[in-house]
Amino acid sequence: MAGDPDSGIERRAGEESVPDFRAARTHVLTELFRLIRDLRRENVDVPASASQDAARALARVGLGDERRVEAALRATLLSAAADAAAFDEAFPEFWHRLRTGLDRIGTAERGPTAAGGDDADGDRESADGGADDPDLLPDADPPEMDGDGDGRVEVRIPTERRRASGDRAAASGDADARRYSAVGGSELVDAATPAASEAGRAAVDRFVDALATLPGRRRRRAPAGPAVDARGALRASLETGGVPVELPRTEPTPSELRCCLLVDVSGSVLDTIDRSALLALAERTASRALDARVFLFDTDLVEATDAVERADGDPAGALRAASVEWGGGTRIGHAFETLRRSAPNAVDRRTVVVVVSDGLDVGDPETLEAGITWLADRASAVVWLNPLAVSPAFEPSSRGMSTVAPYVEGLFGFAEADDLAEAARQIETRGLGGSVGYQHDPRRTASAADGGDSA
Amino acid sequence: MSDRTAARAFDSVTEADLRERFERTDYVADDRTVTTVSLALQLGQPLLVEGPPGSGKTELGKTLAAGFDTELIRLQCYEGLTAENALYEWNYTKQLLAVQGEEGSVAGRSGSPSDGSRGSSVFGEEYLLERPLLRALRTDGDRPPVLLIDEIDRADEAFEAFLLEVLSDFQVSIPEYGTVSADRPPIVVLTSNRTRGLSDALKRRCLYLHVEPPSFETEHEIVRRKVPELDAAVAAEVCGVVAALREESFLKQPGVAETLDWARAVARLRHEESDEPLSTDEIERTIGCLLKEAEDVSRVDAELLDRLHDAAANAADGIE
Repeated sequence: MAGDPDSGIERRAGEESVPDFRAARTHVLTELFRLIRDLRRENVDVPASASQDAARALARVGLGDERRVEAALRATLLSAAADAAAFDEAFPEFWHRLRTGLDRIGTAERGPTAAGGDDADGDRESADGGADDPDLLPDADPPEMDGDGDGRVEVRIPTERRRASGDRAAASGDADARRYSAVGGSELVDAATPAASEAGRAAVDRFVDALATLPGRRRRRAPAGPAVDARGALRASLETGGVPVELPRTEPTPSELRCCLLVDVSGSVLDTIDRSALLALAERTASRALDARVFLFDTDLVEATDAVERADGDPAGALRAASVEWGGGTRIGHAFETLRRSAPNAVDRRTVVVVVSDGLDVGDPETLEAGITWLADRASAVVWLNPLAVSPAFEPSSRGMSTVAPYVEGLFGFAEADDLAEAARQIETRGLGGSVGYQHDPRRTASAADGGDSA
Repeated sequence: MSDRTAARAFDSVTEADLRERFERTDYVADDRTVTTVSLALQLGQPLLVEGPPGSGKTELGKTLAAGFDTELIRLQCYEGLTAENALYEWNYTKQLLAVQGEEGSVAGRSGSPSDGSRGSSVFGEEYLLERPLLRALRTDGDRPPVLLIDEIDRADEAFEAFLLEVLSDFQVSIPEYGTVSADRPPIVVLTSNRTRGLSDALKRRCLYLHVEPPSFETEHEIVRRKVPELDAAVAAEVCGVVAALREESFLKQPGVAETLDWARAVARLRHEESDEPLSTDEIERTIGCLLKEAEDVSRVDAELLDRLHDAAANAADGIE
């Protein structure tokens, strides 16, 4: 290669914290040549010098942003509009291989952490720094992924310090890491889940109220039309000695937003979240918000609106009675896709969508992206509650979270009911358009004061 | 491509910087365009922009010049364009007068350009008429100019081959004068409507950008910026109608340029800043701004107008 592309790739690779520069460079070039070969097989006329230009362009744009990489390769490898279709087809696979390989090189260098070595937990604790609170979740790093994107990918995240209420895999013998996969088995909802405490219910109520009273863009007509507000006129006339100078009219009130709750009930979420708070959230949303709909998903999506509405204080029992299962694998993108197909009317531009999920998606990233863009386009706002985001070290860097984060108006931590109170506080004071999210949580900034993301 | 090592004036232009300049000049560009253009600037490679007529290809070149506050040198290509028209010509009249003024002195002066006698030759600087390509190479402003080679597909293949020398090395040889090379290569933007395929050699030297017809949202944004006098809801209706027209199988689909013309026409015909919805009658009277073929215009009937009217209403609802 002429020029100085090496340094460029290494520099970019360094930004991505990929330590083995040589392996990373070789991997990038191998995948690039593979892409070019695939394009030529599809009769795309890729000039001989295009690989050099493409490598130079990659060195410029870096490897972190899929969109920029795509634009760079499109500009350098293609020279006719007719070839775009072949490129569109080949690029996702290239990107997947590229990122998977780089992730693998990166994690291999960091040693056995998430994948479960003997000293895995020790590493993690020291990395966490201020993680003294046993309630705080240890894991905020992207999970290690292995497999080749054929749907049988397995993710392992350390869950030794699980929440007491979600400690369901203690007997599995695999204490350090539990396997989550896209095809995990599910079970009936555990009816023994305790009901939420009084304080918990108050926090959940506050959150649901904060969402349900978000003003919509439309205004509801005042009940009596734009009539004179007699009481207001009388009150105002007191200032002018009883003479009504101005006649105030009844103000139209803004309509409320509807709510659509999408709850990830995969094993990984159930192990890290307070289940009673989760069920309380579902129940209170269904009963308090306007036209609320509640969906549960792991590998499949089921609507649970009716069940939780009729729950009467026992959502777990109601869900069990409705034969709802939970605890399977996670295919978030697939769930959104199913929602789009089976219940498209659940989301419209007067709806605020609340997703409860840890974002550890093991499905096809394309599907996830398509799903979240659909949701974000269609809904008035998307709020994401992530049980992992209560950790001060949390960054939305897992593949799933980094895909959805740009489309989400507010990403909050939610492992127990108190976290909802904090989210509600932020939404009440700043609204969903303002700077809200896990990064503005004062508890996080307090515990990560020495270099955390203090906004 | 020896210029690779030469200092490039736009080496450090970031995407954010470029986006801001586009923003300032009201050019609405998608992410792909921004990345590709910034790559072309950073790598110092010409940018070949293809796309349907009226999709803003030429505008991109103008925008770059305006955004970087530099000179725009435009070379409009046409069939029969020769190197002389594009590069340089000798001022024959002046040469003739000079020769007549100093009878008999030509033979000794027009020898080798490097023998030091060039200053007094009739093939010197003062007799040279710069055409766009040479001007782009010799410009001495603070910043390199933007060289816009418009509709390269209209020029002959011979001319295209000649362009290769310019684009690969940013230098040209003038036999009587010597080699002219650019100290700072210009930003080169070539546009093509793809009326014929370009040579591989030319394509190989360029970064390629295919400009798609804009989405409804993008077009709405463009109209709002470029025709601010038009009410936003009416602008949405305008874009809705154009989008609906593009669904029809017309001989000549309306491009963004046509949309802007029409939006200006609608704004001009309205009183003040009226936000009345578009009427069927209004669409029919001004459809000439969008459809430029007699056959296409003749296909506009009451049914199509109704459909367009519906599309306008839907579009207005969509942005509400």
